[in-house]
Amino acid sequence: MIAYINAKIINVNDPEISKGLLLVNNGVIEYVGEYRDFADEYKVVDCNNKYILPGFIDSHTHVGNWGEGTGDYDGNESTNPITPAVRAFDSINIEHSSFRDALDGGVTTVCVTPGSGNNIGGQMCAIKTGGDNLDSMLLKNYVGMKAALGENPKRFYGQVKNTFPSTRMGNAHAIRKTLAKVQDLISKEKDVDYELKPLIDVLECKVPLRVHAHRADDILTAIRIAEEFSIDLQIEHGTDSARIADYLAKKKVKVNLGPSFWNRAKVETQSVSFKTAAVLAKSGVEFSLISDHPFYPIQFTNIALSLAHAEGLTREQALRAYTLTPAKFLGVDDRVGSLEKGKDADFTIWDGDPFSIYSKLESTYINGIRY
Amino acid sequence: MILIKNALVKTITNGDLENTSILLKDGKIEKIGANIEAPEGTHTIDATGKVVTPGLIDCHSHVGAWEEGLGWEGNDINEMTNPVNPGLRIIDAVNPDDIGFWDARRGGVTTVQTMPGSGNIIGGLMIAMKTAGNVVDDMVIKNPTGMKAALGENPKRNYGMQNKEPKTRMGNAYLLRKALVETKQYIKNKNEYDIRMENLSLVINKEIPLRIHAHRADDILTAIRISKEFDIDITIEHCTEGHKVAKELAENNIWSNIGPSLWQRAKVETKDITPATPAIVSQAGGKVTLITDHNIVPQHYFRIAAGLAVRSGLKRETAWEAITINPAKVIGIDDKVGSLEVGKDADIVIWTDDPFEPTTHCLVTIIDGNVVYEKEDL
Repeated sequence: MIAYINAKIINVNDPEISKGLLLVNNGVIEYVGEYRDFADEYKVVDCNNKYILPGFIDSHTHVGNWGEGTGDYDGNESTNPITPAVRAFDSINIEHSSFRDALDGGVTTVCVTPGSGNNIGGQMCAIKTGGDNLDSMLLKNYVGMKAALGENPKRFYGQVKNTFPSTRMGNAHAIRKTLAKVQDLISKEKDVDYELKPLIDVLECKVPLRVHAHRADDILTAIRIAEEFSIDLQIEHGTDSARIADYLAKKKVKVNLGPSFWNRAKVETQSVSFKTAAVLAKSGVEFSLISDHPFYPIQFTNIALSLAHAEGLTREQALRAYTLTPAKFLGVDDRVGSLEKGKDADFTIWDGDPFSIYSKLESTYINGIRY
Repeated sequence: MILIKNALVKTITNGDLENTSILLKDGKIEKIGANIEAPEGTHTIDATGKVVTPGLIDCHSHVGAWEEGLGWEGNDINEMTNPVNPGLRIIDAVNPDDIGFWDARRGGVTTVQTMPGSGNIIGGLMIAMKTAGNVVDDMVIKNPTGMKAALGENPKRNYGMQNKEPKTRMGNAYLLRKALVETKQYIKNKNEYDIRMENLSLVINKEIPLRIHAHRADDILTAIRISKEFDIDITIEHCTEGHKVAKELAENNIWSNIGPSLWQRAKVETKDITPATPAIVSQAGGKVTLITDHNIVPQHYFRIAAGLAVRSGLKRETAWEAITINPAKVIGIDDKVGSLEVGKDADIVIWTDDPFEPTTHCLVTIIDGNVVYEKEDL
């Protein structure tokens, strides 16, 4: 039982508190808010006006499954463009430096996703970033099915191997054909192959299809397909989404946006900008901000927040996009995403305002444990 | 003529001056002072409450020669048909229409040293240039400013994977040494004219430095070893593991051009990357600059790298020098740019606040007395 006193608390949903109190009991938040009396059993930690924030949540990363120079690239099972049965969870190496990087960036929950080389790339999972056993770090397996449109699959297959798909038409066809096949089997009450079985949950709207799409036309293709099959959709990256923001709002499409701190790495990412987030916010599109680690290094998450704030998001909107919104997108907002009574004690302490470049992250707590 | 009034002026070489104005005339800084009378018709910018700094200088960029989002069509920095290519000149590959120049201007970067890549052991001659203009020859401040060389993974990957020399770090060093030995012989014997040897002679004669790409500590030490053997000037480019050999860098008085620090652990040789490297090298007495390696980190985020270095222990004053006067010294153009002094080029940036903060905006960028960027939507 620990009482963190004299903290400046920046929480999503609440106004910032200057002399706040956080009570943690057995890894769970018991109280957060203005100072109040508490029982003698609590060990007191005086935060001396330091800042407490909810742990950041990054809804699109390759933490643990992307070699970063070391050769163990386990993100793309690029032997077949349709691999819904593979699970990102089975590729995660918790010894990888990216876990330390996540903790150093104040990120306590990540969604680990397969890459975008395949049209249907496999199952994504949500995990905590601290722990010595992956199974105990798991928040939720299968939080989404990864799919991809645009350059990547047509490069992996069409350009490199001269096999299907080699065009954007091919990309769309690969996804449609697969969903149609499973839908047909379900309607005829026939068995679905083991390889395709995970798509039943997608067609029954139990998990979203999360489609990698940078260019506006790819985003629209994803929406078109999702409507044809009446499935839940989330857009990954959404680089071009500002120019179709009103349409996205009308269609209630969720966007996992980013990484905005990036070079214009590909033809399809020419419009990359932190301004996109502000446009989406203005149009009423629900979005999270993502690092796509390692493409934007997760250890610098607060700098991305500041840049998004600089380009038009309020501080609250920026924080929400890295906490509660991704928690909702992942379906884990009952456990994480804000400092609230009953939620996991996942929080960070900063020596200054986290929107300043000079502020240092002092400690990252997950389930009340300091990592 | 432009008069910038009542700003907090960061001169770099003469401290921070409050409520100070700057008069620009004929592309140069004419006056810096508290009460400057400007003749009628002078374009006056009220910069009350704003921060005015010299244009930032990035001494390791590929802007113009490595255009983003294009494949082979826009990538002209590595002539990887021969690992030793001193005959090349980056000026022949720079496209002023590259959007990266706009990124530079909107990020307050007014001078860059743009250079060949690190695919070759010897990659070619580089230039220093302003970031506004249509004609590269007019944008150039100094040409050439150095010869590019590379150690470590890149050359041995590019050639070794084709089963060609070099395939190892030994091979990298051998090819570099061999080229320098041949140049010395060329100078001594004065046989037939050889454009490659002529360019490398500039290095042997200490007219320009060899700028050596080296991430890992052992590669940095190899670079220093070779520089001593041939008595040549070098700079260390990237210097990712500089924190492990900070003493050696300081003792040998070598410039460490460090970065990009806002980067992933992209390669084995960058796995120990840390934003603390500039602070550690500087504390050991080493001379540092910060670099973007654009487009690895886009030109407009240069200033953020400086803030990050400060967070990781670099003195704020040193961080400022590391993106202004120090790179000017590295390039050899500190008589013209890198600080706000009377007589220097009128390369000036007006910011809303402390430029190291991500929440600060670049309002106006001026190069040679001309406004080349103005923020519209603030």
